[in-house]
Amino acid sequence: MHNTRPAKITSPITSLNEGYVRTIPLALIVGAIGIGVSLVLCGFQSKPFLYNYLVAFCFVLSISLGCLFFVTIMHLTRAGWSATVRRVAELYAMCTFPLFLLFLPILLTVISGTDTVYSWNVEGYTIHADAETKADILANAPLPPLEQLKGAFLNKWFFTGRIVAYFLIWGGMAFFFLKNSLAQDVSGDKKLTARNQAFSAPFMILFAATIVFASFDIEMSLSPLWFSTMFPVYFFAGAFLSALCTIMLTCLWLQRTGRVTDEITIEHYHDLGKLMQGFVIFWGYIAFSQFLLIWYANIPEETFWYDLRINQPGWKGLSLILLVGHLFIPFFLLMGRGLRRNRILLTISAVFILCMHWVDHYWLVMPHLNPHGDHTFQLSGTGFLTGISCLVGMIAIYIALFCLVTRNRPLVPLQDPRLGEALNHEVH
Amino acid sequence: MAEENQTNTNEDSKLVGLLAQFDDPDSLVAACNNAREAGYTKTDAYSPFPVHGIDPALGIKRSILPFIVLSIALGAVCIGLGMQWYTNTDSGTISPAFPGYPFKISGKPYFSLPANIPVTFEVIVLSSAFAAFFGMWILNKLPMLSNPLHRISRFKRATNDKFFLMIEEADEKFDRSSTEAQLNQWGAVAIDECRQDLTDNVLPSWFRLVALMGALMLLIPPVVIFRSMGMTNRAPRLHFMPDMDWQEKSKTQTVAPTMVDGENLFLDMRAMRAPVEGSVAWDHLNADTEMHQGIKRDYKAVTSVSTKTGSALTSLTTGQEDDAAAPAEEDLSKYVTAFPVGIEVNAELLARGQNRFNIYCSVCHGYSGNGDGLVNQRAVALAGTGKATWTAAKSLHDPIVKDPAQNPLGRLFDTISNGRSMMGPYKSQISVEDRWAIVAYVKALQETGIKPPGSEVSPAAKTPADEAPEADDSAIPKPTP
Repeated sequence: MHNTRPAKITSPITSLNEGYVRTIPLALIVGAIGIGVSLVLCGFQSKPFLYNYLVAFCFVLSISLGCLFFVTIMHLTRAGWSATVRRVAELYAMCTFPLFLLFLPILLTVISGTDTVYSWNVEGYTIHADAETKADILANAPLPPLEQLKGAFLNKWFFTGRIVAYFLIWGGMAFFFLKNSLAQDVSGDKKLTARNQAFSAPFMILFAATIVFASFDIEMSLSPLWFSTMFPVYFFAGAFLSALCTIMLTCLWLQRTGRVTDEITIEHYHDLGKLMQGFVIFWGYIAFSQFLLIWYANIPEETFWYDLRINQPGWKGLSLILLVGHLFIPFFLLMGRGLRRNRILLTISAVFILCMHWVDHYWLVMPHLNPHGDHTFQLSGTGFLTGISCLVGMIAIYIALFCLVTRNRPLVPLQDPRLGEALNHEVH
Repeated sequence: MAEENQTNTNEDSKLVGLLAQFDDPDSLVAACNNAREAGYTKTDAYSPFPVHGIDPALGIKRSILPFIVLSIALGAVCIGLGMQWYTNTDSGTISPAFPGYPFKISGKPYFSLPANIPVTFEVIVLSSAFAAFFGMWILNKLPMLSNPLHRISRFKRATNDKFFLMIEEADEKFDRSSTEAQLNQWGAVAIDECRQDLTDNVLPSWFRLVALMGALMLLIPPVVIFRSMGMTNRAPRLHFMPDMDWQEKSKTQTVAPTMVDGENLFLDMRAMRAPVEGSVAWDHLNADTEMHQGIKRDYKAVTSVSTKTGSALTSLTTGQEDDAAAPAEEDLSKYVTAFPVGIEVNAELLARGQNRFNIYCSVCHGYSGNGDGLVNQRAVALAGTGKATWTAAKSLHDPIVKDPAQNPLGRLFDTISNGRSMMGPYKSQISVEDRWAIVAYVKALQETGIKPPGSEVSPAAKTPADEAPEADDSAIPKPTP
């Protein structure tokens, strides 16, 4: 019964096999409809639409960044088990670069000097405009005004420059890994793996530095007064978790449609499931760490952010949904060997976690749509529908991007030196 | 060997099982499968590295360790949270033997879940790790100080390049000769008898002596500690950590440290900082004036407490008497005439009031409230000889005290709280509820119809003349011998 499999690709179909030709236009149409519906639902107002758009954008961006991290960490740790699922992650990571185009609508509001999305982007912006009542006292602090201090970092051109730099760095790293991996499919040159591994260490540092500031810029600066050094870790925890879910769902879908049937085994799903549970706990750990420090210190310039989310009835409900849905339910869904080796349960868990990931970003972004006014729009059925239709459209466009990046490229590395290890992978 | 095989034992050693050697993992897995199919259950395999598929081949079930760890972890949640709840909450009600340690830390509630999560988390992690580690020991029957397998020289290669299958003698299917034949049939390269040496079960002769000496040595530290109890030593103590013994800090009620430039750290020279203006100490808000002062809620005080304190400070610093400190005409209408909301007059409250009254009040006012407490009697006697000044304790049955117009309930409460005339304040000794209980008990005492001393003389003449409630000359009790 125990036979070592030869390190050979045996699946009849290892690529999208021209399926992408039909998928791309279809996905683009769904994307246009989804985003169009979202625009109609919020009455063609730019601000609510762009906030929902930002939520959906952060959703797909975090998936790509998580996949980039997956590729980097697998090379860094010289992991053998993941060789067969790494290509999917490489392809998703490569999507980061074209994602820059999807960020343009938001970037344009910054360049044109409006505060449609980022309230710090106008002359004469004061923290009073942002601060809620509790932080008003800061305006009288014996320091230069905070908006002046933060203005050195949060200004139009520095922001734009940073965004361009992030996407260039992410795209460059993803391109480097994908290019070497694809070249190895043809040549089988083991030095390419060694090169990927050598570069993965500096890339990891670069990745950490960029995701920290990108999360500051794209999401946290919606509330420019707020302070939290834990926020990037929180962003990263959600990103890697959703990336694992996306890799797993993509592999399950590929195998259902008869592609790469032999290379990805239940052992790989089992390991992805373990990582998923680990990062469910990590997300909870980081979310709680961020909350605990702010709760304990009880300083107004930090607490107002949570005050908004905990003491407002609607947001309080959403916070509780996150606590239960993003931490407790997946924790028990993924507990146990039997559960992690069941493809149907894994599919349910992955879809569920991805839904929660969207709720997470909705919870992060939407309270800042109008921090002073009422929050009935964001918390109404119409508000959620706007977000969901925008998300559906964004995911459709993301699928189109994935197909465009993948085309007829192999979905597993054909001549990876660790292919044998991955094919014979067995967990206990 | 043939004769011994029948009995499986001889005097010196006991057969444990048969150990078969295989040269590669595949034949080991195959042999394991064969053994399982032949019905052997007490088997074990040894290999230099984890062999895939060996668990199902041997018929090893999934370990119950995860469930042990899970149940221990869930128990740890209860212990971690329960311990913090038990120690932190402000309730002697949980157990009269243990009043708890209700520490107020940065204004957080005594029991607040966010603050308790980290400790709970650590307890979960620690106990799960212990459960996994020691559970693994127990399930693997560790620690095992010696294993008869190690007496087989061939077995040393189990950590190098050979693979072994052991079938234990305790197995029901085990039969010395047929099992050996089966193992040979399954491709064993070599078969060894695993024997446990029974001769070395005896402890070495020197062991008991060494163990005894070791146990005696363990007694030295407690003996040294016991001997040094109560001893004095003239040598100065050792300071292992001088920065802990002489800390850079200011103690309470001291002068603030002087800075390098000769200036005091704080302008007012105090090391302690005054609380922020308007801050209220925990549990001292006492916003319900009816409950905490016996004063009607809608009564507007002419001078607030804070200004009184301020003027008192002014008088202290300027050395002048403050006019406000002089007793002014008392506005009796400010006092409540009924018990405040939250105080329910019932037998329980009266019993409590009696208990408190007998402890705190009866020493002067007497058990019957007639001003004949022992302290009062003695003091009055001394005052009569001119050796002391004393204002006699009032009889609570005095018509002025009994009169609800002159002494509404709130004023009685105020008297207990802040004292009156010579009587001192009992605010700090008696809790608010207990003070109201005493008021209730006093009102009940007054209904008993006890005559105040001196009332037989001329009650009608005295009562209206006595305007000032503080004036007490009408109620000097006769000292009883």
